[in-house]
Amino acid sequence: MTTAVAAIDFELLGRIFPRVLVDGILLGFVYSLIALGYTMVYGVLEFINFAHSEIFMVGAFIGAEVLLILQAARVLAASPPLLSLLASVLAAGVIAGLLAVTIERVAYRPLRGAPRLVPLISAIGVSFFLQDLVRMIWALHRNAFYLTYPPIEVFNQRFPAGAYALWGGAAAVAIAAIGWLMRRAGRGVARARFESLSMLPKYTSIALGIVSVGLLILDPNRVLTVPVKSLVVIGASLLVLSVLVYVVNQTKLGMAIRAVAEDQATASLMGVNVNQIISVTFLIGGLMGGIAGALFGLQFGTVNPYSGFIPGLKAFTAAVLGGIGNIPGAMLGGLVLGVLEALAGSYLSLISGGAFGAEYKDIFAFSVLILILIFRPRGLLGEVVREKL
Amino acid sequence: MLEARGIVKRFGGLVAVNQVDFNVQEGMIASIIGPNGAGKTTFFNVLTGVCRPEAGSLRFGGEELVGRRPDQITALGMCRTFQNIRLFGNMTVLENVLVGMHTRLDVRYVDALLRTSLFHDAERAALKRGGELLAFVGLRDVANEVARNLPYGAMRRLEIARALASSPRLLLLDEPTAGMNPAESQALMGFLRRVREELKLTVVLIEHNMRVVMSISDRITVLDYGEKISEGPPEHVQSDPRVVEAYLGRQARAH
Amino acid sequence: MTNGAAPAASSTRRSAIPPAAWALIALAYLAVSAWSSVRLPNSLFAFLFFLSSLFLLYYAPVATVLRVVLGAVALLLLMPVIGASNAFYLEVATQVGIFVALALGLNIVVGLAGLLDLGYVAFFAVGAYLWAVMGSAQATVAFGIAPLASWWFFPFLVLSVVAAGVAGVMLGLPVLRLRGDYLAIVTLGFGEVIRVLANNLDKPINFTNGPQGISPVGRPPLFFLDAWNRWLAGMGRAPWEESAVYPFVFYFLVIAVVAVVILVTHRVEDSHVGRAWTAIREDEAAAVTMGIPLVRMKLLAFATGASFAGVMGMLFASKQYFINPESFTFMESIGVLAMVILGGMGNIPGAILGASLVTILNLQVLKDLSIWLNGLRQAGTIVTLPIIGSYNLASLPAQLEPAKYERMVFGVILILMMIFRPQGILPSRRRARELHDVAAAGEVATNA
Repeated sequence: MTTAVAAIDFELLGRIFPRVLVDGILLGFVYSLIALGYTMVYGVLEFINFAHSEIFMVGAFIGAEVLLILQAARVLAASPPLLSLLASVLAAGVIAGLLAVTIERVAYRPLRGAPRLVPLISAIGVSFFLQDLVRMIWALHRNAFYLTYPPIEVFNQRFPAGAYALWGGAAAVAIAAIGWLMRRAGRGVARARFESLSMLPKYTSIALGIVSVGLLILDPNRVLTVPVKSLVVIGASLLVLSVLVYVVNQTKLGMAIRAVAEDQATASLMGVNVNQIISVTFLIGGLMGGIAGALFGLQFGTVNPYSGFIPGLKAFTAAVLGGIGNIPGAMLGGLVLGVLEALAGSYLSLISGGAFGAEYKDIFAFSVLILILIFRPRGLLGEVVREKL
Repeated sequence: MLEARGIVKRFGGLVAVNQVDFNVQEGMIASIIGPNGAGKTTFFNVLTGVCRPEAGSLRFGGEELVGRRPDQITALGMCRTFQNIRLFGNMTVLENVLVGMHTRLDVRYVDALLRTSLFHDAERAALKRGGELLAFVGLRDVANEVARNLPYGAMRRLEIARALASSPRLLLLDEPTAGMNPAESQALMGFLRRVREELKLTVVLIEHNMRVVMSISDRITVLDYGEKISEGPPEHVQSDPRVVEAYLGRQARAH
Repeated sequence: MTNGAAPAASSTRRSAIPPAAWALIALAYLAVSAWSSVRLPNSLFAFLFFLSSLFLLYYAPVATVLRVVLGAVALLLLMPVIGASNAFYLEVATQVGIFVALALGLNIVVGLAGLLDLGYVAFFAVGAYLWAVMGSAQATVAFGIAPLASWWFFPFLVLSVVAAGVAGVMLGLPVLRLRGDYLAIVTLGFGEVIRVLANNLDKPINFTNGPQGISPVGRPPLFFLDAWNRWLAGMGRAPWEESAVYPFVFYFLVIAVVAVVILVTHRVEDSHVGRAWTAIREDEAAAVTMGIPLVRMKLLAFATGASFAGVMGMLFASKQYFINPESFTFMESIGVLAMVILGGMGNIPGAILGASLVTILNLQVLKDLSIWLNGLRQAGTIVTLPIIGSYNLASLPAQLEPAKYERMVFGVILILMMIFRPQGILPSRRRARELHDVAAAGEVATNA
């Protein structure tokens, strides 16, 4: 009775913290990628694309299928791992993207203008249909209920991140310096274009700096190792997110998407082809969902036709957490939710002495969702939307 | 009977209603006019509890309204129509009116479950009154039609009947003649006079149609940019230079 | 006022055939279909034929009394007789009854009040676990008390209604202010929370026995059986086995509850409450302006819908003898939603039709398809298809089993209905009312 509290091993809690944080960030990036699909579609259509979790799942299946084909052709072990990964992720993204566009054409477009719940119910139908369709396809194709990602040797090794912390810090300073030089050199010439280009070293150095300093503080003994796989997943997510931000903010296409999200009628008067932009939005959302699926599968090893549901729901939570319709919000929400979930998953059972296991982390995510919707329905970065009378 | 003091309503940086005082005495037809975006509908939304004002007080028959929910305000005896008609489209004409009686039906869920005599009496009375109201607005023959199939003018009248069903003492009408031709507007004016005379109601009206406003109103309040710029009987407002400026000045600039 | 939900319009439309003839047709249909179901106990079509007779009866323009009598004969007499010749049909009918009640409950929430509840099965779980825990050895594990005696079954029928209703209010209070699509996701989350709780509340204190589930769940007492068996013995006949009697008991219990549920739904729908719900569905802002207290009415809808699920959950747990969290997944919620949408949102016959069709599809058609396919597979049948050419079904993968593709069925139903017939097979019709008792005063006011 008296020593229940003393059972908590604070030293242990501290020791596992960096690892938990890495897991959380990884999960967070995957959630961010999925959440972007929800948030972008919500932005243009004010509609929850319930089938997005299945787009993600299809991506995971395609990613596995590509690697399995490479393995069967005996090229997986021989080719550079990053190249195999690229093939798997790209195929997953493209097919998922095309699938998303098809779904929009078939199941959502005929319902535009109907009461809100009608397309939502249709989307739920699509979600259920896809789960069993994938199950059927792979039952016929491989007589399998789930797919296992073939191992890529290098990815399963561990990277001694702690030992490289100082080097990382140095690199951050160096990249910052290069960025500064670039900005100076680019002054006057093609300014706008150049400025966005010089953002790259700026943010890279900031991120690297934060990670290095964090490592130095959290891992003073320099013993932390991180699976190479996790680093690859985080790196790939960062890359995809950066490309997306560039596309949305710096290109004509991105401007058209933002215009349609703002006001469809006006955008179409300004010569934007609204239907086309909606298709493109689904394509981009699906692309990222598919990529997220392949990365998720790579990280966790297996996928089954129903494994999209929970990550999808959590990514939706992330989108709402960040403020639905808001692109930076989705990224932030994904990271926050991922880290919170990793913390809950690791610490809940340790703190409660095993009474509440890691299974409660799902409840935890839903509770977050419910609390935000009740107390701050516009999320962290969203704006108030009010109905007109 | 209605007394608004210093009402302020902001949306973000925009001040939609600024320090408006507005009184209505029993039995009058008071109109609110003003250019588009002057804050008239927002002011209605404040009165009916749809949005909460940032400042000001609002008394209706001695009760403070600020902080009450719209349904509570309706129960106190104030009911409205909408600028863009908002009927319950898939319900019948009669059902629309019956919904309006909700606050006046003194029966509970249990009564409906057990079909008590209280329930039967209340339903019978409601049906009777619904029929009378529909007869009053000339829609009795279409009582069992689905509301969305009505012609436009009938929808307007049904909306008024639905508001009347809540037995209001004060009726708020948001642009009742919007989208009507002159003959229809004329008929509606006659109808409003009957509402006042036969039902002994007080009416507040938002209106764009000047002919309607000038001929029917006891008093006119003019809003511009959320502020009250003039108030008084029709003749007074008509000759107020600020009103002329607000309308004509802006129109002159616009053309 | 027309009574009952049979629309007055239909009798005028079909007036070519006199009512007496209709009564005869209905009677003949019922008799033939029941007879063929008994004679052909393994024919699905005969059984469907019988079930369809109930719908014919419902829409036949015959006197209400006759309709009720014939319906009662079909459900209380003929169905048990059919069940005696094929126990599986009785099981199907019981399941249909359970889902009819669930569909009617969800119909109140989604169809009438327009609130999309994706976690409806949670209330079913509340009722099921309430009785499963208290009426089994689990009561000793969880609370250190002896399992409740079997007669407690009956008070718990009421208690499960109350418990699920309270759960509905507790969920509804914080979330009912949310806009429609958010509400859908939050209720979905709530459904999952309940399932995860059921799965994990075997520690620190074992309430639910986790994934292993609870068995045996208490069953209602058979007061009459002893006396009956004594009488049978006196007649020199073999006594009835408890296990053989229970399916019939549960069938009658389910029918009784469904009858109450239909009565409640009908009465509530046809009252100020039902009108308020429909108004909220049609236009929330206008409804509140007309004096309808939104939160209270929505809570009422949630609680009413939930209470139906609660009592059926309890019956389900007792009937199954065993429950675990697997019976309360998101898929069940969607299944019930598919029933409501297929049949037609907002009306009672629609919900009944939807529940019957989907349950039979799941329990029978898919299963029969599986068996048929397996037969072909084992026989090594070779089919010749255009383009593909000939294909030996023996090489069909074992993973492909139609019985496991419920989700696809639900999905297809939802998509196709939304695109082609969002109002459902039997769209709800507004009831016509007579106004003849109204004074003709004020008639002059036409064309204001």
